[in-house]
Amino acid sequence: MRYAARWRSRVALGVPAALALLLLVVPLVALLLRADWARIPSDLATPTVLPALRLSLTTTSVTAVLCLLLGTPLAWFLARSEHRATSWVRALLTVPLVLPPVVGGVALLMTWGRNGLIGQYLTPFGIQIPFTTVAVVLAETFVAMPYYVLAVEGAMRGLDPRLESVARTLGASDVRYLRTVGIPLVLPGIASGLALAWARALGEFGATITFAGNFQGRTQTLPLLVYVELERDPQVAVSISIMLLAVSVLVLGVLRGRWLR
Amino acid sequence: MSAASRVSAGLDARIRLSRGEIEVDVALTAEPGQVIGVLGPNGGGKTTTILALAGVLHLAEGHVRVGGQVWDDGRHRLAPEQRAVGLMLADSLLFPHLRALDNVAYGPRSRGVGRHEARDRARTELERVGLSDRAASRPRELSSGQQARVALARALATDPALLLLDEPLAALDPDTRARTRSDLAARLTAYDGVTVLVTHDPLDALTLADHLVFVEDGRVTQFGTPAEVLSEPRSAYVGTVVGLNLYAAQGDSHGHVHTADGGLIVTTSPTEGAVWATVPPSAVSLHRHHPEGSPRNAWRLRIASVTMQGQSARIGLVGEVPLTAEVTLESVTALGLQVGHDVWAAVKATEVRTYPR
Repeated sequence: MRYAARWRSRVALGVPAALALLLLVVPLVALLLRADWARIPSDLATPTVLPALRLSLTTTSVTAVLCLLLGTPLAWFLARSEHRATSWVRALLTVPLVLPPVVGGVALLMTWGRNGLIGQYLTPFGIQIPFTTVAVVLAETFVAMPYYVLAVEGAMRGLDPRLESVARTLGASDVRYLRTVGIPLVLPGIASGLALAWARALGEFGATITFAGNFQGRTQTLPLLVYVELERDPQVAVSISIMLLAVSVLVLGVLRGRWLR
Repeated sequence: MSAASRVSAGLDARIRLSRGEIEVDVALTAEPGQVIGVLGPNGGGKTTTILALAGVLHLAEGHVRVGGQVWDDGRHRLAPEQRAVGLMLADSLLFPHLRALDNVAYGPRSRGVGRHEARDRARTELERVGLSDRAASRPRELSSGQQARVALARALATDPALLLLDEPLAALDPDTRARTRSDLAARLTAYDGVTVLVTHDPLDALTLADHLVFVEDGRVTQFGTPAEVLSEPRSAYVGTVVGLNLYAAQGDSHGHVHTADGGLIVTTSPTEGAVWATVPPSAVSLHRHHPEGSPRNAWRLRIASVTMQGQSARIGLVGEVPLTAEVTLESVTALGLQVGHDVWAAVKATEVRTYPR
């Protein structure tokens, strides 16, 4: 009787748990099973792949650098500020995390488009942002920056604020403190923030295709190419997907023990 | 020494600000070369005072003048990095990724000294605290006492006019503390600026400081040399720190002292009016029955606590005149002193001191 009751509750919890696991794992297995491993090298040598790979690598690298240069100071301000507005800024920062990427793309168009909030002032100078490589970077930065800032802010909050007080009495300006103490002590946080942001930028699809379009060699990144190839040659799409999966697992390895404990 | 010369050379500060629950209003003055010991209960405003002197916290009112230079006049203030100040906190707070030498050289480097010159200076400072052989060590490779000495060297490497030490020995174990205390004393003797030492350890204050300032609830409750404070405490906290039973009382010319709680103490050194009365714990004798003979003071009191201290015991007594008595361990067993029991406490009238409140 008691044994039966325990068995029933095991089933009641075990079945949904197993289903959840299957929903996550089966697609990955399917991808691996459908891959034609011998064909992967030649698939990746397809004329369309190389430009997309090059574009993805350059735009995600630029995005990572932008995160580093702009996101680090923002993370520092958020980490040290006790002002009430800070929690609002932090909430604002998380919006791009949950926003549908397509909506992000529309928002970017409204900003940088020909008649956009900022774009209208660029148009007279003949500067056009949408549907250029710059747009790809802007889209990737829009979705990736929050990951970076939140990761680094968390690391900086872990620092003893008295270290900064001591550094300042020793004569260090804010910039010198950050350069010589603050940043060196949060390097692990910066590394995981960069890995997260870079991985998110690499996978960016919705905002990119909306705001930057799908032009080969200019705005067609790897995820966009996968989408195109799926209609033309599904096997090429699978091969590129395998490569992106491998990269994701690699990033996971970098993050392990830092974020995913 | 006149007020004018005090302003020109040493420290002259009036710290007024509120932080959290506490309103701080503390005045501090000191001559160059002096060590001011700031004591008080936790949360009383000691660290707030230190941080305001460093410029990390901002004054609401008041002033900070050091060596004739105005650091803060309540409106305009110098940032911490513009002040000739050295700060050393509990836990040492060395930069964990820098070698001891570079920790000490950090200040000179930040103030624009060249790399070689800064390292030479750092070597000199490490030598002065007896650590020249540990220059290449990272903080985690140093003992806590060595870390404290590196932190002191770092704070002094910028030639501060004002050295702020906030509980510099609190994080150390008792053995290390005694040794580091004497290292600190030796180094401070050679330092010609003003030192403000915050501590809650009376021994630190008595051995290192020339003047003591007691800060309670954001206010100065007593100021004086260690000798003055030891003989005439002027607040319950100070009484506890110097280890005397202290009573706020009214005295008359016959030697009768009436405490605020309605107790009566008899003394041979009467002071009239509002007085403080002190009774040394070692002058209290305990008896099972009403004591015979000379003592003029005898109270039947209840034992509230018994604590051991080396070869003696401190007995906390409550009743008409709350007392702490210091007795030998033998008398604890001979008299069967236990918490909750009643006992007679006797004090000779000659042991009771009074002085105006």
